[in-house]
Amino acid sequence: MAGFEFSTAPLEPERLRKAVEDPACGGYATFEGWVRDHNDGRHVRHLEYEAYVELAVKEGERIVEEAVRRFGVKHARCVHRVGDLALGELAVWVGVSAGHRAEAFAACRYVIDEVKHRVPIWKKEHYVDGDSGWVNCERCAVGAESATTADGGRAATHAHEHRGEHADAHGHSHEHAGDGSHAHGSAHARGGAHAHTHDHDHAGATSHAPAVSAHPAGLTRPDYSRQVVLPDVGADGQAKIRRARVLVIGAGGLGVPVLQYLAGAGVGVLGIVDGDVLDPSNLHRQTLYSLADVGRPKALLAAERLKALNPEVDVRAHVERATEERLPALAADYDVLVDCTDNFRAKFLVNDVAVRLGKVGVLASVYQYEGQLQVVKPGGACLRCLWPEATRDGLVGNCAEAGVLGPVPGTLGSLQALEVLKVVLGRRSALDESVLLFDLGTLESQRIRARRATECVGTNCARAASAAAAPRIEDLEVAVASLDDARAAGYVVVDLREASEVAAAPAPGDTMHIPLSRLLESPAQLDRADTRYLLLCARGQRSAGAAATLRAAGMQRVWSLRGGLSALARR
Amino acid sequence: MSRIHVQYYAVLREQAGRSEETIDSAAATPAALYEELRARHPFHLARTQLRVAIDGEFAGWDAPLADGARVVFIPPVAGG
Repeated sequence: MAGFEFSTAPLEPERLRKAVEDPACGGYATFEGWVRDHNDGRHVRHLEYEAYVELAVKEGERIVEEAVRRFGVKHARCVHRVGDLALGELAVWVGVSAGHRAEAFAACRYVIDEVKHRVPIWKKEHYVDGDSGWVNCERCAVGAESATTADGGRAATHAHEHRGEHADAHGHSHEHAGDGSHAHGSAHARGGAHAHTHDHDHAGATSHAPAVSAHPAGLTRPDYSRQVVLPDVGADGQAKIRRARVLVIGAGGLGVPVLQYLAGAGVGVLGIVDGDVLDPSNLHRQTLYSLADVGRPKALLAAERLKALNPEVDVRAHVERATEERLPALAADYDVLVDCTDNFRAKFLVNDVAVRLGKVGVLASVYQYEGQLQVVKPGGACLRCLWPEATRDGLVGNCAEAGVLGPVPGTLGSLQALEVLKVVLGRRSALDESVLLFDLGTLESQRIRARRATECVGTNCARAASAAAAPRIEDLEVAVASLDDARAAGYVVVDLREASEVAAAPAPGDTMHIPLSRLLESPAQLDRADTRYLLLCARGQRSAGAAATLRAAGMQRVWSLRGGLSALARR
Repeated sequence: MSRIHVQYYAVLREQAGRSEETIDSAAATPAALYEELRARHPFHLARTQLRVAIDGEFAGWDAPLADGARVVFIPPVAGG
């Protein structure tokens, strides 16, 4: 006899019960799920059940076997109706017989809970007002506290114990709970449909995790009910999310939470641009990936994981760096660009492309325990309205690589995902006119009002529109064997380090010393038109940023010592 | 003299060794205030690399500083 089956004919409990009768059993628990006349405040006229039968039967059988094994009951069986059902009709029946009532109750509840949760069954509710709608039964289990189930359900509970010494110890030789044990309308909003005692909730609860991880194919998308019930979302908002096209640039510490939440929310098209492969040092903050993935392209890994999370999302992986040549073409297909990169060059590129193409840009950056978050909308302030021309990689921060705790980009990335959803849903955001500064060390945040650059007219930012492509770093850098070689080649050597760094490790030979900040304040110090200047610092980052800034200011005769003094020391 | 509440972010916080302080200053603009603070703290960044906000709004370096102003010095950050 099958442990689980579907029936197109009405269910007959008296006949079904015979399948689990056994003289060795002292307890029998049964559950009946009934078609209820209301759901979510709407009057239901009748229901239609539909199932993905091949998968559903397999999964149902598995659940019944699990119940028998887990609780040690003798017999368990579940039958589910499909087709058109009238009010009051029996939609699902579970029967369990066992040596004693405790395991019968627990197994019975386990079966109905797991069936609701795991078996691909949909129901279409036909309402009194003539409307109708499909409801995935999984929401019944997932949204257990949201009271959205359509079937009522009564616990027609019969727990008989024959001659059982254990039963007598409880003072009951014969229990007939009947209607008296209904949990209908109680805190168990799942239709109040359980034949169970609270003692056994724990057995049911602890069994859920492995059961869910073994979830079969068959469900084709997540249940969005927990966001759809929000007043600001609704079916309308979910449709907007479904139509949204979002490109995430960078699949690292910021990008991972952005991608996960947007895929979970059901964004229609989700693009990922990242040219890197996974490094073991990424994992502490990029927890979408696994140790076994090291060495594989992150864009592909992320796409794989997101497809598993939500097969409904059209995930498009672009294994490449965001460049001036490629990003505009990639971005054309999307409405929102999310900057999750880790350098100024890329951030300004994402900003400029968003501004030029009239897209929304959601930009975030972190530094140690701090984060900054900006939403760039057509006509509003953009990254270039805000930050000075001299904002370049290598010019701010410390020479040493900055460390970060995983939850810091995790938090900022989550905020980015939230801002994207606000944009998609058409909600106003406090960040429409402000930039968020969030110090996660002290948990203080503040919003700073930001205005567009005064030269901006219309919807475009004049600075972003005219931003020249940054010179390639290779064109700025010079590698030499020694500073004397550089001098022999005609360079004037300029040390940009701070006085304390110079004192600790002076550069050899005849060297000008101009700390970086002083040079940026008055670049004209390097004023000899016939002179080629070689800028240096400890590792070559500040000098490269300074060279790029001076070139942008019109000084074409500046170069940066590749790798800085530490590279010379190694030679 | 005006009483000014100053906040530092990112590398400025590290170099100042604190995230905020209240000072009495004769500076009439944030530019003058920053130069004054550079004498107290080992700030490496030039003004041209920073933004300043006064009372919750990004401001120019030559904006007037009133008594009781809340001034925030903000470097750009790029980590991800």
